[in-house]
Amino acid sequence: MLNYKFDWAVVTSGKYLDWLLSGLKVTVQLSAVAMVASFVLGLAIAVLRLSPLRPLRAVAAAYVEFFRNTPLVVQIFFWYFGSYQLLPAALNDWLNNHNFEFGAAVIALTIYTSAFIAEDIRSGILAVPKEQMEAARSAGFSYLTAMRRVILPQAVRITVPPLVNQFLNLTKNSSLAMTIGVAELTYQARQVESYSFKGFEAFTAATVVYLALSLVITGTVAVYDRKVLNPALGR
Amino acid sequence: MKKLTLMLLATAAIFSLRTGQAAAKDTLVDAKKKGVLVCGVKDSLPPFGYVDAGTREIVGYDIDFCRALADKLKVKVEMKPVTSASRIPQLQEGNIDLIAATMTHTAEREKQIDFSHTYFVTGQKFLAKAGTVKTLKDLEGKKVATAKGSTSEQNVSKAVPTATVLSFDDYPQAVLAMQQGKVVAVTTDESILMGQLNKLPSGQYEIPSLQISEEPYGLGMRKGDTAFVAFVNKTLLEMEKNGEARRIYDKWFTATSGTPRARNFTITAGK
Repeated sequence: MLNYKFDWAVVTSGKYLDWLLSGLKVTVQLSAVAMVASFVLGLAIAVLRLSPLRPLRAVAAAYVEFFRNTPLVVQIFFWYFGSYQLLPAALNDWLNNHNFEFGAAVIALTIYTSAFIAEDIRSGILAVPKEQMEAARSAGFSYLTAMRRVILPQAVRITVPPLVNQFLNLTKNSSLAMTIGVAELTYQARQVESYSFKGFEAFTAATVVYLALSLVITGTVAVYDRKVLNPALGR
Repeated sequence: MKKLTLMLLATAAIFSLRTGQAAAKDTLVDAKKKGVLVCGVKDSLPPFGYVDAGTREIVGYDIDFCRALADKLKVKVEMKPVTSASRIPQLQEGNIDLIAATMTHTAEREKQIDFSHTYFVTGQKFLAKAGTVKTLKDLEGKKVATAKGSTSEQNVSKAVPTATVLSFDDYPQAVLAMQQGKVVAVTTDESILMGQLNKLPSGQYEIPSLQISEEPYGLGMRKGDTAFVAFVNKTLLEMEKNGEARRIYDKWFTATSGTPRARNFTITAGK
């Protein structure tokens, strides 16, 4: 097919462009919500993972191992299809009327990503010299306050580079939401392909958009890191 | 894809030129001379054409029509498996005399071959919980599931613009979503839906007689093979009249066949 005729107009104008843009919007929404939620959840799991109480540590460790070691697409199916068997009928009805496709995808992406983020933050916490915790405790802080006021602010800074990785993965992983019918970017690119038979153009457009999105995330975090988190380091 | 279609069309055009030069074959005369009628059929699409596990022979709804035509001609019948892409070129090239392979009668194809009267009608339908979908109105503003990349997607968007179409990777997932109330119906070709309905608990689900696209199947013959076309059409009408067409239908679409289906058409000279 060397004499394939490229038709870029298919993806740069008209209704197919609208489809791709609406897909981009959903991808951004999915990623943004899951990013915030998975960071918060990951932070909590990381703190539990280092808790002085053994049962809490065990629960957090089990959570991390379970969710980072099962395929994301399986988790998406679990939350979307499997949860039906566990939930009361009234709740199922409510969910089905409230865009549960999007909700299930957010839940799966959040939980999956939080397991990785928890590990990153945990190593960040461990990288803070343990004398700081000891000093904070002897200054009268409780474990949680010491964590919140002294350790975590430093740990999160150390964690920024691996966190960027997780956010990038999350954004790209959000394409798996198409398996449960969430009309995000990859879904729309495939739609464009099946309507226009212009698969090369459609998926090239999607590739470019994902790349741009990733660069925006990397750039934003880099700037935030340099200007706000670690101005002294000049990273 | 477009390129491929063009290439196929070009190939088909070349073949049609060739047979054109060979002075419009008269299949009626040739088949009698050879003593055999060669039918192009599907061999993996029950109940239309598939290999019987016991006899290792191709059987099915399409095959029975071929046999009836050959019997009427008093010649033997030979089945040649074809694919959707190969059937028209094969016919034009003279490898087969007749296409009986679940072929929808379309305007584009009519430019290349002649069609018999419609001998089977299917179409895009819905699979839903019993009693929930009676008219297309019941689907307005609701979610409908289908499989990715199918023409079903486009048809349903056209038929019910306010419906949200959820496309899954495969039909079983779409059916599961319907069972769980995430979508009100699954839509695609009736034959596929019947296969899915078979797997569901009986009585709770149904395929309402709502159709959003029609797929009339016709037998295909070489363009300009007038005597043969007339013979096939006449025979089809006779088969309808003497009940043989219905018998064949009942044989493949009874309750016990796995694809039970009411006969929603009669063979007429209309199309």
